Amino acid sequence: MSEIESSFETITLRNLDAMNEQARDALPYGVVGFAADTIVQTYNATEARLSGLDPATVIGVPFFEAVAQCMNNFMVAQRFEDEPELDAIIPYVLTLRMRPTKARLRLLATAGITRRYVLIER
Amino acid sequence: MTDMSSEQELLEFLYACPVGLIECDAAGEIGMMNPHAMQHLLPLAGARNASNLFAALEQHAPELRSMAAAFVPASGRICDGHRIFVELGPGRQGMVPKVLACTLVKLGPDRLMATLADVSQQVVQENRLRQADAWFATVLDDVDGYAALTITPDGEIASANSCFLNQTGHAPADVIGHNLADVLGTDVPGDDMRLDEQLVIAGRDGWHLQEGWQQRADGKRFWCQRLVVAQSTGDPLKPRRFSVVLRDVPRPEAATGDLRRLLTSDHLTGAANRRHFSQAMAKAQARSRDRHEPVSMIALDLDHFKAVNDSHGHPAGDTLLCRVTEVCTALLPPSGVFARLGGEEFGVLLPRYDHAQAMALAEQLRAEIETVAVETSGGLLHVTASLGCATLEEADGSIDALIALADRRLYAAKRAGRNQVCDSQSDAT
Repeated sequence: MSEIESSFETITLRNLDAMNEQARDALPYGVVGFAADTIVQTYNATEARLSGLDPATVIGVPFFEAVAQCMNNFMVAQRFEDEPELDAIIPYVLTLRMRPTKARLRLLATAGITRRYVLIER
Repeated sequence: MTDMSSEQELLEFLYACPVGLIECDAAGEIGMMNPHAMQHLLPLAGARNASNLFAALEQHAPELRSMAAAFVPASGRICDGHRIFVELGPGRQGMVPKVLACTLVKLGPDRLMATLADVSQQVVQENRLRQADAWFATVLDDVDGYAALTITPDGEIASANSCFLNQTGHAPADVIGHNLADVLGTDVPGDDMRLDEQLVIAGRDGWHLQEGWQQRADGKRFWCQRLVVAQSTGDPLKPRRFSVVLRDVPRPEAATGDLRRLLTSDHLTGAANRRHFSQAMAKAQARSRDRHEPVSMIALDLDHFKAVNDSHGHPAGDTLLCRVTEVCTALLPPSGVFARLGGEEFGVLLPRYDHAQAMALAEQLRAEIETVAVETSGGLLHVTASLGCATLEEADGSIDALIALADRRLYAAKRAGRNQVCDSQSDAT
């Protein structure tokens, strides 16, 4: 897959979901995949490195309630509830290690694929 | 325990803390904050800078900036549980309006600590308690201080107790058969609900309580709570009667003026605050429903105000806001409410004003704001405003829709070149 097709803005949900763990780890931005119940299923190496969280402590945990409380609002969490088809990029501020950090989020969900994704570009 | 793990534990503690914690400098630039704080701040900030506390809260609590600036001691508590009323605009109908409590502590010359907590449910309970309290007070307090009467649906006095004499100077025997409204001389044109209107509502809802001026036999006025309760007859054919309880109470404004001003007005400008505005709106809406009166609103925003703050500094901008408030409140009718809703955004509530009257006032406000001039080191500072008018009727009786419509027209005025009032027709887009 070319670099263009796998960039933060252009990668498709289908391609992302079809990737193996190593390929997802190699992406230059954070990737978090979770089920409809928000339990985290996949957490890539980039995100683990930038957030300082060990994937082992994140996987199996409800994402918005336990990992990313600062996304648990109508701008992020609620949109996954409300919109079965979702592909949106929003400017955001994360509180990484308690520091306000400007970031861009890409929210991805579609009817045919059970896993949903948040991409995080810092 | 190693250092690593204690730091990790501290981080986890801060991440999970169910209260928003923020540390910032004197200008509001945030150094550290936990996710709970960001969860409250981000939706409020909208397109504004979420990494500055004052900028993020500019639309909902513009007073925080001036409260922090006005706090002289080197350290101490600037405010404790200061309430920020979040929901005033459209959307989220039927939900409990969100209220945040903010505590701001000055740790040093350039270091502030803030906490944010959601107290919406608590505020709902407080209101409920206050209502219950008013009821119990009405029933239990100082029973002798109550004049109790029975009247017919026409307002004619059927009976009155001896306390009626003490309170009003009228002997019960002299007033039986007379109309209560005539005896009390209350139904003068003004803000109070007429007795016959109150009877209609009491007939529908079972009861109605209001406060207003009443007149004694010697012509002196006194402030009075008037409770009208429909008596149940059990027989639908028998005409209903109403119990009336009159209670001589201190005027709330007179008794608690300072506290009231503190709770209802904006710290910087002295205009009404968001909370007071939203309460006045709800009251006007209820009255409009009961009495079929028009209600209008004007949304007002100063033009290019950010540039004023950027080039002349916040103190000059603050002076300008105060002057604008001064000239606008001077033009308002007695029942009008002029409120600061955000940084440079104001709202005017006009009970009993129809669209034409509101448009005329908006034009006056616009013209008067244009004449405001503030002296700065860089010369005279002028400002203009864009305004939008709407009536509750156009908004189908919904407060949210009224605010949204006035806002839409305000932005139409901005698009049309600023320094103008948007006419209702041009918002068709």
